[in-house]
Amino acid sequence: MSALLIQNAQIACEENDTLTPADVLVENGIISKIAKGVEAPAGAKVVDASGKVLLPGMFDTHIHMREPGQEAKETIQSGTEAAINGGVTGVVLMPNTAPAIDSAAMVRTIYDIAKRDSRIPVYTSGCITKGREGKELAGIDGMLQLGVKMLTDDGDAVPDMSLLKRAMEYASEFDCFFASHCEVLDLSGPRALNEGVVSHRLGIVGSPACSEEICMDRDIRLAHAAGARLHIQHVSSKLGMETIRWWKSMGAKLSAEVSPHHLLFNEEDIGNYDTHYKMNPPLRTAEDNKALLEGLKEGVFDIIATDHAPHTPFEKAQDFVTSPNGITGLETALVSLYHHFIKAGEFGWGLIVKRYSAEPRRMMSLEPVPIEEGGAAEFLLFDPEGQTTFTSEFMRSKSQNTPFLDKTLDGSIDLVVLGDAVLLER
Amino acid sequence: MTTRKDLLDIESLSREEIEHLLDQAGPFKELFTRSVKKVPALKGKSVLTLFYEPSTRTLSSFEVAAKRLSADVTTFDVPHSSVVKGESVKDTIDTLQSMRTDYIIVRNSMSGLPLVIARETKASVINAGDGAHAHPTQALLDGFTFREVFPEMQRKKILIVGDILHSRVARSTSTLMRKLGVEVAWLGPGSLVPKHGPRDIKRFTNYDEAMQWGPDVVYLLRIQMERQSAPYFPSLREYTKLYGVTPERFKRLEDQGTYIMHPGPVNRGVELCDAVMDYQRCLINQQVENGIAARMAVLYWLKPESDQ
Repeated sequence: MSALLIQNAQIACEENDTLTPADVLVENGIISKIAKGVEAPAGAKVVDASGKVLLPGMFDTHIHMREPGQEAKETIQSGTEAAINGGVTGVVLMPNTAPAIDSAAMVRTIYDIAKRDSRIPVYTSGCITKGREGKELAGIDGMLQLGVKMLTDDGDAVPDMSLLKRAMEYASEFDCFFASHCEVLDLSGPRALNEGVVSHRLGIVGSPACSEEICMDRDIRLAHAAGARLHIQHVSSKLGMETIRWWKSMGAKLSAEVSPHHLLFNEEDIGNYDTHYKMNPPLRTAEDNKALLEGLKEGVFDIIATDHAPHTPFEKAQDFVTSPNGITGLETALVSLYHHFIKAGEFGWGLIVKRYSAEPRRMMSLEPVPIEEGGAAEFLLFDPEGQTTFTSEFMRSKSQNTPFLDKTLDGSIDLVVLGDAVLLER
Repeated sequence: MTTRKDLLDIESLSREEIEHLLDQAGPFKELFTRSVKKVPALKGKSVLTLFYEPSTRTLSSFEVAAKRLSADVTTFDVPHSSVVKGESVKDTIDTLQSMRTDYIIVRNSMSGLPLVIARETKASVINAGDGAHAHPTQALLDGFTFREVFPEMQRKKILIVGDILHSRVARSTSTLMRKLGVEVAWLGPGSLVPKHGPRDIKRFTNYDEAMQWGPDVVYLLRIQMERQSAPYFPSLREYTKLYGVTPERFKRLEDQGTYIMHPGPVNRGVELCDAVMDYQRCLINQQVENGIAARMAVLYWLKPESDQ
């Protein structure tokens, strides 16, 4: 593509919710001009973006691609295509593959696969402990040498506090941070359902929110003592949000994420054992939804991340107890956040750009990709008047374990551009 | 009265449906006094029992019920089936579907599993107990037994004692009783009486307070040590001391004319003392007999899609 001219777009930025009307000219993958009435160079591709919002590409730091080991659920190829379908132009993978990403060799394997199969940048996190077994430290230095920034045993907490503290002390001098899946298994048991009215009705011993909150507090205290930087993953409860707020006020080196599903759904949505709402940490109450939304608006949560967790239809068609935790999110996040929050006036586009594009990149020591002259082209065009129906045909993930399956939401992603490539055009 | 394909819980039944089933159970029970105890109602129908958990009483009760309706009964031999070789429930369902059975009676430790089977098969599925979720036929036989003693159930009181948290019987029977106007209270250790149940159920952790409430029936649950992955009370001895029907408490129950129910099998000396078994107002054996009648009513009422 020699040149691309986006005409009459409304440009979003992270600083505020104001949308700036302008034409955007991309030449050789660089945004060469932003102005009104830009002339299209000869041979340029011209896109009429009237009424549409131009956003920097989203960046998702919590992705399970399942490769290697569980390619029937997802591969780096299918998962990154799903990302593009959802307007996401960069992802960070979780290391709970089989084998786990716990060594330089495994990191290199992931990057080799990504180089071959992905059209967007793929980064990976690395394990804290070998094989995520919580017994021995993983090959931390080797992974960091290859650019890994985030260390996590996501999917599980590190149960041994002493080991976790040592890992934090060991790595605190390096350019990396820890990410915590917070859960005290002694309290929560293996079944992802909030302890409450729904768990009682369905006859499943539930997992109390305190299981997450105690572990969160534990990990923050350990990181604080060790001088390490900590990121709390997928917060699900009001008290969890307040825990983070308090520790931030105490000056802890702390960041936190919230997922779209913990903002949008609660335990009541599970209805009669709908496994599309089974995830860990579990969906909690409507009161928690409200608190998490406030936390996002107030900046208690630094980033939005989906915890994209594909599973095959066969697995999710089992009974609630047996079926695995997690739902996909890459393809539905932006549209669902627009449909439920931006359109409803809860927050504006600035929050999305900041929390789902700029801050996640900064967290990974990457530069944000604002739409500005001289910057690399990495953006998407969103049509607020459009609609998206999340059919099997629409979705590019190998798995369709999402509550949005076959539902129609307002808003559509019409164009995704990365450098001089149009990754998606509808 | 319209029919349903499946019986998965009590929650989804209306009061009218419950009363219809209890009414139906009456004539079936009368049949037991005759020399020929069978009717041809389900002649030619096939019933398959699929019990992933050990059971003697419920399994035989269903088998007797189905046979008294002249159905052909097959017991799916789970302990020797491919299930133990690692076959998934979904594959088992496909196998069952191929057998074109009319009724599947399933017991499993996974809450919600009967619903999965019901969704995937044309057979009528009867939940014979799933995890801590539901045991609807137990609730129906309990309701039938209660109504035999108290034909006017409205505002009668039942106190359910024991491990409520893990008990599908407690959940289903409480739901059914409430739907029929009976007042329900739970008694047990704080660790076994859930905080999140329906608000109209009273909760007691003290036996004397519970007895002052004046229950017409005390329903004792079996302490199911096999369901508890962690200790919820210090010892059986302490449990019996605090919540069991000891000889002293039995005396008080006798004096108050309180009826006793229990889903069986009984842990003698734990939830109740031996003397209770011979008590005139002990309904435990009546429950067993009524179980067959209630299950006949359910089988007779359900309508498999394979009928159409």
